[in-house]
Amino acid sequence: MKGLRLASIVSAIAAPALVWAAPAHADPDTDFANELHTYGIYGQKDYNAWIGKIACKRLYNGVDQDADKSAKFVFLQLQKGSNTEQVWQFLGAALRTYCPDKLPILQAAAQQ
Amino acid sequence: MWIKASVAAAVVSVAAMALPAVASADASDDYPIPNRMLKTTCTAEQIMAAARDVEPVYYERYMIDYNNKSADVHQWVQDRIHWFYSMDYAGRRQYSENIATNAFYENLSWNWPNWAKLFFNNKGVAAHTTDICMQYPPDDMSVWNW
Repeated sequence: MKGLRLASIVSAIAAPALVWAAPAHADPDTDFANELHTYGIYGQKDYNAWIGKIACKRLYNGVDQDADKSAKFVFLQLQKGSNTEQVWQFLGAALRTYCPDKLPILQAAAQQ
Repeated sequence: MWIKASVAAAVVSVAAMALPAVASADASDDYPIPNRMLKTTCTAEQIMAAARDVEPVYYERYMIDYNNKSADVHQWVQDRIHWFYSMDYAGRRQYSENIATNAFYENLSWNWPNWAKLFFNNKGVAAHTTDICMQYPPDDMSVWNW
């Protein structure tokens, strides 16, 4: 389980090549949705964008103090049946898209 | 004369049909305030903290709305919702009755029609928040800052 967590975080830190190759849109929510699709995470685009932005806000407001707390928050909001890897992929994409200055929390989690 | 009588009869029969159909504005045990909110022992702050975790978009939208109101309205909202949850079931049920039967009852609604949306508007949200609200601290006022 610990190994799975670490692998998931590491894969969340590295955005897939596919995403970088795709042209960036003026609308970050569209880019975010496109990246989620590569992870097999679907659902409403606006809803997922809200969750990504709120995950950032919770970090800024100190409601979530580290990546594990953020991941727990994301897990609660994703569709039932979403796996650990998808949770971390969602979180990585959210941080890259909406609050890149918070990306170091992923590195910190990977080093735990 | 015969026509008049039939018109009168028609009027009476219409009236007879219409009277029972007059909409009843009474509250029920689940409307306008969801039953869970009439019965919960949580404070407003516990419910908000729960909403922030399990209904984050609903909470976010409420707080955006809240943040667009004046400091006076903020205080009013906090006082009013504290007052509501300080009451027992009978008191809350009576309040539900009052706002259902009298659109002018809640003065706060004139300042902010959706002032209690996070608490009263949605049965699903009420169920999700009251399921877990006991896990949160009862007096954490930081939930109003978002």
